[in-house]
Amino acid sequence: MVKIGEKRKIRYGFLIDLRRCIGCHTCSVSCKAENDVPLKVFRSWVKIIEKGRYPNVSRSFLPSLCNNCDNPICLKNCPVKATWQRDDGIVMIDEHRCIGCKYCMASCPYDVRHVNPLKRYVQKCYWCYHRVDKRVAPACVEVCIGRARIFGDINDPNSEISQLIATNPVQVLKPEMATEPRVYYIGLDLDVMDPMKGWKGLTHEDGGEL
Amino acid sequence: MDVQIIYNTPHEIPLGWFIATYFYLTGLSAGSFVVSVIATIGGKAEYKPLGKIGAVLAPILLILAPLNLIIDLEQPLRFWHLFVYLNFTSPITYGTFLLTIYPISGLIYAWFVFKGNQKMASFFGIIGIPLAICTHGYTGFILALGKGRALWSTALMPSLFIVSAMVSGIALLILAASIRNRFFLKNTEEKERDKDLIIGLGKFMGGIIMMDIFMVFNAIIVLLTSTKEAYEVVKLMLIGSFSYEFLGIEIFLGGIIPLFLVFNKKTRKSLRWLIIASILTLIGVYSMRIVVVIAGQSIPLH
Ligand code: SF4
Ligand code: SF4
Ligand code: SF4
Repeated sequence: MVKIGEKRKIRYGFLIDLRRCIGCHTCSVSCKAENDVPLKVFRSWVKIIEKGRYPNVSRSFLPSLCNNCDNPICLKNCPVKATWQRDDGIVMIDEHRCIGCKYCMASCPYDVRHVNPLKRYVQKCYWCYHRVDKRVAPACVEVCIGRARIFGDINDPNSEISQLIATNPVQVLKPEMATEPRVYYIGLDLDVMDPMKGWKGLTHEDGGEL
Repeated sequence: MDVQIIYNTPHEIPLGWFIATYFYLTGLSAGSFVVSVIATIGGKAEYKPLGKIGAVLAPILLILAPLNLIIDLEQPLRFWHLFVYLNFTSPITYGTFLLTIYPISGLIYAWFVFKGNQKMASFFGIIGIPLAICTHGYTGFILALGKGRALWSTALMPSLFIVSAMVSGIALLILAASIRNRFFLKNTEEKERDKDLIIGLGKFMGGIIMMDIFMVFNAIIVLLTSTKEAYEVVKLMLIGSFSYEFLGIEIFLGGIIPLFLVFNKKTRKSLRWLIIASILTLIGVYSMRIVVVIAGQSIPLH
């Protein structure tokens, strides 16, 4: 409970309303443009699956980005504290400090981090803090044609995101990892959030990684 | 329900051969150090040469090992950040200190071993054993705390790493001692005594290989019945693209065959077979590092 007169702490959160997502990848493209994300790496992407058998088929989408977790394992495991967390919850990477050991990438259960192939340090989505600090919505939120992406303060009961979370069944990805992710989903499909569904495995014919 | 993935963008595997090689070399170093200390404080005069071989190998390997780590960094010139910006929840930070202190204590130990100063050698040896074990054990923690990867995040990982380190360390010592026996020892009587020692070491290796296989077996059984990811990663190792490396090289070539050679009546008394057994073991443990590191990351996370 927040007492009267007490200054409330901002905790940003991100909500993706999949009832409104059409899988257009505009978010992924806008993120690339906004943040100069190089080729072959992504901070935001939309996984698409198709399920069922004709004529009963449907597509499900999973737009992904860093969950800016409340209990981020990437931060705990970073040996030089290059990964740090702002008071508003955004998990940041100090690019002057990052040594590129990639341990955070190996630890994150969501595979949202990447090495910048040109600058050679690790980057990820930081909820466009540079825009948020100027009170502008993150790029992918602003361009989403279905208004499926909502960004806001989850500690403020009057914000749109808080109201949506309060009035809808929501879920997060891999809650069992105890990282307390702060990207919420409405209408998330079981099969699209399961990495193993539809995955063919690696056989000797695929060559695997070796 | 039929599910087809239409579009997905997995990222590249972050940790690769360099990290596996690093784990391998620290393991070799820790294993040969521990055996060397046991030989040094074991008392008997004929153990002493073993102590010396291990004392030389351990620090050399441990100076090579972190080079792999530094090469693997995206910003190798920033490696000094590890010493000034510490994060005490990260196993790598502990590693920074272990990787600094352990080779130093190992060098001091080696110096006293070669000076023939038994008392100081034992003293630094005994200090060094926990350091060596921690230096290798922490690499197990690096993987164990990578909670997103089903193959890694098990409490078994540090112990498994320590046991396989012992296996590879002993194998390396057998190899080095056999070379010394064949090419550098002239006196036949001394040669025979030395050979008995190496055969003893072979039995020791056999025992620890059994422990290693037992632990791997435990890990596999539990993984098979835990999460979906765990099940898939085991499938990858048993019938998927890592089965040659895992079943073929790690378990069969690096485990079963050396066990057979070490305990079989016909082969256990022959140095030549022991050398083959130890080479196979060394290859098997390297394969284990590769499988753990790379297969562990081959399961998609989204
Ligand atoms: S999603 Fe991954 S990278 Fe992002 S804060 Fe959580 S653990 Fe860290
Ligand atoms: S919030 Fe910004 S950085 Fe994150 S996915 Fe959207 S556009 Fe990219
Ligand atoms: S831009 Fe919006 S509607 Fe399009 S894929 Fe991204 S989240 Fe979905």
